[in-house]
Amino acid sequence: MTSKYQHLYVVIEHDDGVPVPVSLEMLGEARRLMDGFNKKYSSDEKVVAVVLGHNVHKLCEELIYYGADYVIYADSPELRSRRNIIDTKVISQIARNRELAAKFSNASEFVKPRYMFFGADSIGRHLSSTVLAELESGLASDINKLVVEDLELKHEHKTKGQAIKYEKTLEMYRPDFSGFLWTTILCLDNRNPANEREYHPQACSIIPGVFAPIERDSSRRGEIVDYIPKFDEHDLRVRVLDRKIVKSAVDFDSHKAIVSFGKGVKDSPEQNIKLVAELAKEIEAEVGISLPISKKPFSVSEGTNSTYMIPDRVIGTSGRKVAPLLYIAAGISGAMQHIAGMKESGFIVAINPDENSPIKDECDIFIKGRMEDVIPILVEELRKQRPAIEVKKK
Amino acid sequence: MTTTTTTTKDLNVAVIVKLEPDFSEGNVSYNADGTLNRAETKSILGPHSAIASSAAFYAKVKYGARVAVGTMGPPIAESALQQAQLLCDADELHLYSDRIFAGADTLATAEVLGAGISKVEGGKVDIVFSGHRASDGETGQTGPQTAWKLGYTFLGNVVDYSVDLQNRLLRARRLISLQGFYDIIEEVEAPLPVFISIDPSYKAFFNTVSQRLALEKYQKEAKLRAENYKQFLKVLNTQQLGIDPKLVGLPGSPTIVYKVERIPKAKASRKAEVVDGTNRDQIAKVVSNMYEVLGGMVIK
Repeated sequence: MTSKYQHLYVVIEHDDGVPVPVSLEMLGEARRLMDGFNKKYSSDEKVVAVVLGHNVHKLCEELIYYGADYVIYADSPELRSRRNIIDTKVISQIARNRELAAKFSNASEFVKPRYMFFGADSIGRHLSSTVLAELESGLASDINKLVVEDLELKHEHKTKGQAIKYEKTLEMYRPDFSGFLWTTILCLDNRNPANEREYHPQACSIIPGVFAPIERDSSRRGEIVDYIPKFDEHDLRVRVLDRKIVKSAVDFDSHKAIVSFGKGVKDSPEQNIKLVAELAKEIEAEVGISLPISKKPFSVSEGTNSTYMIPDRVIGTSGRKVAPLLYIAAGISGAMQHIAGMKESGFIVAINPDENSPIKDECDIFIKGRMEDVIPILVEELRKQRPAIEVKKK
Repeated sequence: MTTTTTTTKDLNVAVIVKLEPDFSEGNVSYNADGTLNRAETKSILGPHSAIASSAAFYAKVKYGARVAVGTMGPPIAESALQQAQLLCDADELHLYSDRIFAGADTLATAEVLGAGISKVEGGKVDIVFSGHRASDGETGQTGPQTAWKLGYTFLGNVVDYSVDLQNRLLRARRLISLQGFYDIIEEVEAPLPVFISIDPSYKAFFNTVSQRLALEKYQKEAKLRAENYKQFLKVLNTQQLGIDPKLVGLPGSPTIVYKVERIPKAKASRKAEVVDGTNRDQIAKVVSNMYEVLGGMVIK
């Protein structure tokens, strides 16, 4: 059976042939989702990786080992670095190309992909936006759970209040800023007789670090399909003059310990952040924060702001994944997003006045109390016990 | 490829802003189920919109640009325009307001904003600024989608920029963060017009005496103007914007919010020993545990 909308296209991000981790994570989730789809509905629909680059054939092979059935590969020297305009044009051409889709299945009716994935990072967030503006369909951002389901829906506008069945609908779950609420976004065709309109692909950007890649399997078979991109001078109007890889001043990896703070600093943020810094200094720890803190919800002086309340320090799915020997979470309630970034730590100590906060299920020691009361005692004890330990080391 | 050789050194810039709930501590209010209490939480110019406004003000101080600010929303959203005017000394304020805009997702919003910007200065806007993302929707999609609707070059995550008025070129530095990988600072050049989404880390610097003098002058002017912001305000509806009503609001939105739920609690992964935070002996034990761990002993 053929359809206007087929397959799951995954837009791959890479740096000169090295895949950005979220690319393999997206492929892993795409594989799981389409395995289910293939069983439930039809085996004709595929996981299709889309690669733009130059001389990155090897990457395309790897993508097959990581779950792609097909790889559409657009090769051109102009596609070596990422530029929004030309990338958007080429990806949109690929998405609309029936001849390409005919390589995967009967595409006599093909118009556009059924689903599309992008990475929710600096590149993918904007690229997904412009591609979906060009393809005139819906896009959900920062997704961490995906389900394909047949849904019977009534909607004021989409169905004009009538119950209508939407088959093979992609439920796209996104955690809100607090990390405790999930919003499910759907991209639906308008079946309202007053304004019928089809919205495909159903697309989303996926939070890096959430989904697991499948295990690399070099015996997996797939096919690489070359695509010759079309563009003109005008599409090349952005010139990249210089490109430098920067290392963050925040260095989680070479520290044995990390002290993180969350919204629990709120009663006296300035004072509490100083306490955290003092504790960190005592055990030579790097300082981390939870996501809400990076949004500067408190008034603190500029100095404090610029040192600690920066996105570079965020630990969690919206930031860094860490695994130090010792992790101290001060005033962090333990939203799922934060836990995902620190659960691999060796030994976890939480300081929190609320025994019902989720962090309690994720730590080895739960010190019940407010950080302003607990940290001074901790620091004092650390100082008291320090010499004895140093002697022991010899 | 452009054949029009403009000799003008004028610069027109526009900013798109959003009125958002004030999420700062003490101002934000939540319902018992953890959702935002919109009635109790007051609204302000979004923090990223404020940064975008500052970036436009920089163009005014440095290049004498004319500045227009636009927003989509109900009448109350004009307070965002007023707050933005105070930051960027806007010459024009545009409120795109129509009941049928309600319920718009990012694509339907971009349709309105794009139409609005093409109305500013007869469509001759050289640079459009938007914030990184709104603090309520948090998608970061509206800016780039508006750029695409306008046919402007989109540059995201811009940390600073300069304009070559003679050659009608913009140079910008962008901070690209590839999570789990590394960050890249990229320097790019593009012919005007461009659409910029400003990175949260953007800061304007005014180094020369003449810039500081201009800064003071425009800041004073901005204050006066914002006090009388209605004089600068234009309100535009669907018809005045010349938009197809099927492309805005609910009809023009491909996506819907299907449900909102609490994220179920994960199974406990560790069994915590609970320690009384006021009990010094217990904390002393925790500390010796910590030192053991840091000594490199393998736990578990």
